[in-house]
Amino acid sequence: MDGAKVTPGRTACLYIGAAVLRLVIFTLLPGLPDLLTGRVEISTPVTSFKRLQEGLFLYNHNVSPYDGGVYHQAPLLLPLFSLLPSITRLPIFTYLLYIAVDLLSASALWRIADSGEAGSSALFTSPRREKRWSGLVIAAVFLFNPFTVATCLGRSTSVFTTCAILHAVAKAVSGAPFGAMVAISFASYLSMYPLLLLPPLVLLSYDRQHSGRAIKSAPKFAAICASTVAGVLAALFQLSYLVTGSWEFLPSTYGVQLTLSDLTPNVGLWWYFFIEMFDSFRSFFLAVFWLHLSSYVGGLTVRIRRQPLVALTLILGIFAIFKPYPSISDAALFQAMVPLYRHVFPLMRYTFVSTAVIMYATCLGPAFYYLWIYAGSGNANFFYAITLVWNLGQSLLVCDLLFAVLRDEWEVERPEMVGKEIRQI
Amino acid sequence: MPRLLASALQLRRDPRILKLPPYVSLLCILVGVAWLFLLPLDRYSRKTYISENALLPGQVHTYFGGSDQNVFRAYKHEVNELVGKSNIEINDKLEPIVKGLGLKTARQNFTYHAAGHTFAGENLYAILQAPRGDATEAIVLVAAWENVRHEINKNGIPLALTLLRYFKRWSLWSKDIILVLTPDSIAGPQAWVDAYHDAHDPSHVSSLPLKSGLLQGAIALDYAQEGRFESVHVVYDGVNGQLPNLDLINSIVNIAGGQMGINIALQEMWRHKGGYPDRLRTMLRGMLKQGLGLASGAHSSFIPYHVDAVTLQPFGEGWQDEMAMGRVVEGSFRSLNNLLEHLHQSFFFYLLMRTERFVSIGTYLPSAMLVAANFTIMAIALWVKSGQPPAGATPPKNKTETPDTTTAPTAAERDLFLPLGVVTLIQSLSVIPLYLFNHAPESALTPLFATFAVLNTLLPPALSHLLTTLPATPTTPHQYNLIKSFSLLLLGMFLSTLATLNFSLAMITGLLAAPLSFVRPCRSAAAKAAASALLTAVSPAVVLLAAALYWGVDVTTVLREASVAWHVCGTYSPVVVWCVWWPAWVAGSVVVLGGRREEAVKEKTT
Repeated sequence: MDGAKVTPGRTACLYIGAAVLRLVIFTLLPGLPDLLTGRVEISTPVTSFKRLQEGLFLYNHNVSPYDGGVYHQAPLLLPLFSLLPSITRLPIFTYLLYIAVDLLSASALWRIADSGEAGSSALFTSPRREKRWSGLVIAAVFLFNPFTVATCLGRSTSVFTTCAILHAVAKAVSGAPFGAMVAISFASYLSMYPLLLLPPLVLLSYDRQHSGRAIKSAPKFAAICASTVAGVLAALFQLSYLVTGSWEFLPSTYGVQLTLSDLTPNVGLWWYFFIEMFDSFRSFFLAVFWLHLSSYVGGLTVRIRRQPLVALTLILGIFAIFKPYPSISDAALFQAMVPLYRHVFPLMRYTFVSTAVIMYATCLGPAFYYLWIYAGSGNANFFYAITLVWNLGQSLLVCDLLFAVLRDEWEVERPEMVGKEIRQI
Repeated sequence: MPRLLASALQLRRDPRILKLPPYVSLLCILVGVAWLFLLPLDRYSRKTYISENALLPGQVHTYFGGSDQNVFRAYKHEVNELVGKSNIEINDKLEPIVKGLGLKTARQNFTYHAAGHTFAGENLYAILQAPRGDATEAIVLVAAWENVRHEINKNGIPLALTLLRYFKRWSLWSKDIILVLTPDSIAGPQAWVDAYHDAHDPSHVSSLPLKSGLLQGAIALDYAQEGRFESVHVVYDGVNGQLPNLDLINSIVNIAGGQMGINIALQEMWRHKGGYPDRLRTMLRGMLKQGLGLASGAHSSFIPYHVDAVTLQPFGEGWQDEMAMGRVVEGSFRSLNNLLEHLHQSFFFYLLMRTERFVSIGTYLPSAMLVAANFTIMAIALWVKSGQPPAGATPPKNKTETPDTTTAPTAAERDLFLPLGVVTLIQSLSVIPLYLFNHAPESALTPLFATFAVLNTLLPPALSHLLTTLPATPTTPHQYNLIKSFSLLLLGMFLSTLATLNFSLAMITGLLAAPLSFVRPCRSAAAKAAASALLTAVSPAVVLLAAALYWGVDVTTVLREASVAWHVCGTYSPVVVWCVWWPAWVAGSVVVLGGRREEAVKEKTT
């Protein structure tokens, strides 16, 4: 598996296999996509396909899509989807779009894997880097991950964000800082939170510049990157303004994420807190929750300065836990990045436990949601308890990966400690 | 504290710790079973009580009787005339009667196909609009033409009609009352309640032309017995083991027992002495019914829609007449009429020991969870074991060094690809029996079952043979450990999920699958044969056959019932048998056959 030769035939096989799998499910089980679209684990208020339909209907009837407070997604998705034939008559085009987006994400992931950035970055080379999986395996793990497939079938719009983030990283590792900044601007435009990935992404692009036209001064590079992102975002906002005719989209999309005004349950940790909270404390805790989420960015970027891709991966994992509206697609994105660190897997200690916890939560989550909503014999605490377990599993995985990467670095600094037992304090 | 941690770390590396898990998991199973048998004791079960104050059971005078007796006789006469006629003819006759009471009526057609049979019919229903209500809530009175044993409901239908005529005279109803007359006890109510909640497939079940509000409760009358009766049998099992709110059963017990002096029986325990054996028997019968997940009466299909429902079945020779039965229903309807909100106060998960003793979920769930936990414990233990160096290699000895500098326990790199592949393959194979048994016509079921039983016995040796010949390097004991670990992990995961939905099914499946925790690769051919034979004895096919023999029914009947329940009511027990238990069993059998003799291993390595 490690030394598998990648031929064009294998590549085509993988992509065709993934596309056929999704198409077969779409056509043989026509009820399944709609069922998955309605699941809170897949569709959050800011990524739901159903809400997109609602926004699209309003948009096509020349009403502001944000009227009614159902649609909370970026305005530029509307012209894109109104170009496609109607989902009720010809759903195949929508399916094909989502499949294509998944394949694009996989190809970006493939490029990241082939760059070898995970094993040896500009400032650090892991002694274990020989042991890694090829891009084919990593792309296959992403494409056949049940969470990825379920997200694709549920037609959550988070796939676009995933694709943009992976392309930003792929551009950055291949020495194209401008492309990376444009891609991350698109991701931020769609979902806002990817903006927090900017610091490690800038560092990654800085480290991987082509030596020919490299900008040596780091502050200058950062300033250019930041202004690129600002410029692209400004252009996208202007375009959105032209499309919808008002600035209403800003509070309806980013405002909802910032203030958590839609309390539909999801797999995250926010909704239950804010349901229970007295209104007078709401703004304080919103600030605390957002501060908590963003505080990881600075810390991880500084601590793992030598491996910016690791910082990116870990931040994505943390987003999947602490975002205001997380879904399984965020978990799928994190799980897509984890196999890049095949070389530190032997240093991880809780892989079985975290995998088992995530699998248990995946099974129990829908069961408890059923007991709460349909059977009426459970209550909200059931589902919230299981989201705690789910996030416990994810945070175990994040911590374990962080531990393994740091231990890998540490063993280079202190070769006499290789293989010795250490104690975490 | 640091010393404690250090000693914990030492303990972790102690080889004895790996010997422990099989005993721990055996202990889990034993404690789980013992727990179950403790439940009927007074110390562990509780006395029932009414939680919902609004119900006020037995607090009103019931006036049904007197001249209603004559009305009942007249309706009975009409119904007796209809015996042997077709469904449409019956409805043609009954509809004018109901219309004559001044109610709105409507009909609904349904057709279900299952196991090569067609279940078709027409439901007739009528709505009594509440004089004091706004049609936002309703209570349902169901009377099926035939009960589950295919006896004609000769007294139930006239009694329901009489009751409705009587209810019409009262002005106190704040909820609509819906009378549903169905041709049978399973498909008819299911079609009606599906369509009422717009959850039906319009190509098989037609939509309801007339609707009322949210259903608050339902009572089904199954009164096929002629003559005076002694007690009332309350049937409360819903589809997939869901139960109605305990308050509903308590109210009926209270009204019938306290007010009318009619005894209540549960779970076909016609004579209940109240002692430990009878309590245990009631509980086990309840668990078995819950585990099978079949519909047990006309009320069963209401429960998945969160409509609390029971069937009342008079039985025995006594001095109670039809009017007494009518008064029980009247009292229950008056109680339901009082409800301010949907029944939610009392328990939805309980096991009844007798009419006034029960255990709630907090008390009984640990037993099923312990049984499910035994699989997870073994899965974790096997995972740890598969990371240890092979048995022959000497573990590095460095006890002289200080704990800080001892080598970290280097987990050997595990080859996950083959075990994961095998488990995934077996798991995906399980779709085949599920599909076949649910889609074959009845005539094909017996040969299909025989073929399946034979193939089922041959499958593990075949897979095991493939595993030894196909891969380039022969499968190692570690890989067998991993196969078993993953399959047990899945089993434990599914069962603990299932325990929250259907406790009894999880418990029964868990106990039947319990031997799988303790199988290990056998070395000699004799041991392999013995272990395989033992495992075959607890395979799904053999257990199915044995259960059918024990209860004196045909296997075909069992399979047909399962198929009908799957298509009509959406019972998911077949999924649990074929997609949870069966794959675990196949994986266990493959593991048993996987061991090789020591010499063979050595020869290959040298």
